[in-house]
Amino acid sequence: MARTRTALAVAVGLVLADSSVVVLALPDIYRELDVSVTAVAWVLIAFNLVLALTALPAAVAARSIGPARVTVAGLVVFAGASLACGLAPDIQTLLVARCVQAIGGAAAVCAALELMPSVSGSERAAALAWARAGAIGAALGPGLGGLLTELVSWEAIFLVQVPVAVVLATALAGLVRDEAAPGAVAAEVRASGSPHLAANAALALVSAALAAALFLIVLLLIEGWRLTPIAAAAAVSAMPIAALLGARVGARAGGRARAAAGVILLAGGLAALALMPSASIVATLAPQVLVGVGLALTLSALTEAALAGRAPQAIHGGWTIAARHAGVVAGLLLLTPVFTADLESERDHAEQAGTAALLDSHLDPSSKIDLAGRLADRLDEEGERVPVLAPAFEPLPTDPEQRAATVELRTALQEELDKAATHAFSASFLIAAGFALAALLPVALARGRPQL
Amino acid sequence: MSERALVVAAAVASAALVALYLALGGSGYEPTPVQDPCEPRPWREPEGIEEAAEQFTLSGLDGAACELRVTRETLALALATESSRERFAHEYGISDAELEAAVRAGVERAIDDAEDAGALSSLVAGGLREVASRLPVDESIALIEDARGVFEDAQGLLDQAGGVLDQILP
Repeated sequence: MARTRTALAVAVGLVLADSSVVVLALPDIYRELDVSVTAVAWVLIAFNLVLALTALPAAVAARSIGPARVTVAGLVVFAGASLACGLAPDIQTLLVARCVQAIGGAAAVCAALELMPSVSGSERAAALAWARAGAIGAALGPGLGGLLTELVSWEAIFLVQVPVAVVLATALAGLVRDEAAPGAVAAEVRASGSPHLAANAALALVSAALAAALFLIVLLLIEGWRLTPIAAAAAVSAMPIAALLGARVGARAGGRARAAAGVILLAGGLAALALMPSASIVATLAPQVLVGVGLALTLSALTEAALAGRAPQAIHGGWTIAARHAGVVAGLLLLTPVFTADLESERDHAEQAGTAALLDSHLDPSSKIDLAGRLADRLDEEGERVPVLAPAFEPLPTDPEQRAATVELRTALQEELDKAATHAFSASFLIAAGFALAALLPVALARGRPQL
Repeated sequence: MSERALVVAAAVASAALVALYLALGGSGYEPTPVQDPCEPRPWREPEGIEEAAEQFTLSGLDGAACELRVTRETLALALATESSRERFAHEYGISDAELEAAVRAGVERAIDDAEDAGALSSLVAGGLREVASRLPVDESIALIEDARGVFEDAQGLLDQAGGVLDQILP
């Protein structure tokens, strides 16, 4: 029983980690498959969109075909699609495979919720375990993805999931044999009642904010500050660690208080990310802690509230998955054009300021002209991205005075670019904080309801 | 922790961090502004040929950039290489004739500024204007980028004139 419970929780964590696991790999995918930032965002958006759209049908299928059958079939489809993602030669194949992966994932996650009460002791314990597995998976995803991208390649993120999904499917296959014939599903679905609107609306808004938080922090670290994926993975690990520790915060408080506190922390963390005083990893740590603890508090409180006292669990679980991932999609679709435009504009300002610094520097005129040429080539090579300018300054002049002036100029230019990149994300972080704060409204409207 | 305490603690933690980041100047970033190239930019006192040539280059860039309605910085990067020049012309929709006219305007402004700063005599400046009006665009760009020859020749002329005066005057 413990083995089945673990397998179900890992399956939920594995699938929901996929909504964020590629975040740190996006810059690599973007370079290797030679696509735009907007196109590469669809590697995330497509998965979350299909997950949102298929969660409810998957839950109905779990009730009509049998949850064990649907869980195992979902994991097999997920494994096959993950293999296709890992072998994808172009962006089109990758996007199609991601959609199929999401269909398999939706089936596995929604059906797993139906199986969990029998191995968790109660529906409440099952709902809590299911919600936590999803939150932990989503929080750990970026770090694991970053490690694999740096140590192996972005393809490894998907290939590694194949054996895991196959092992889980095998471990759960025994449940299929014992599964009873399905019942009268249509009547059951009709009788399941309406979903918990306030909790699901709040989940959608919180997920939009969270998606933005994860996606934007990673892009800032890798594309803005040009950290390697492994360094970025280490930098963003503060968030899942805080989420794991935050799961214990306010354990005795009611659902509405935990949801409200979580939303406030999330909004505060995102607002602080918009106002970072320096372009350094240290400045991201405290905001990440607030976001992580906020995530732990709010996701579990809202998911529990959406499921409490409602049956069948798979259907209401399907609603929460649909709400969460629709929120992720909305967040990404709204914020991608905002930060892309801001990044381009700030990059131009920084280029101008940097060139002004070069022209007014104490380098001798021929060095200035030569350096301007190398900088122009470097900017051309880097295309739309925030450039790393250091190679344009190599080799450094041998004359000590000119060498010192060159190093000083190089530092000033890179600092200007780092500041510009940080500033370029500010508006997007503030909008994401707005999503989080907006979630307070449905939480407050649910006042008087016992579960939230 | 009570429900109220939990919400209050979350609000205090969030507000404290936001206030701290604001106090540390988190909202204060403004990109360093660049000067309008059409505005006059005073020459630093040139101490030698190298510095005079550098000022000449910067004045030339200002003049050409003003003519094209772009910044001096944009033009400096654009003129740095052949490919960057083509990219710039394509991006801003600038024809060869417009670029040529702008570069000539840049050379004229540089000569004017050098004359005003006393780095070129009126005689040399007048001669240079005549020569510059006939220079092909590539050579005009080369002149803006490296004007040391202009000042070396001007210095040479002055030295020769000085020698003649020494012989004539007691």
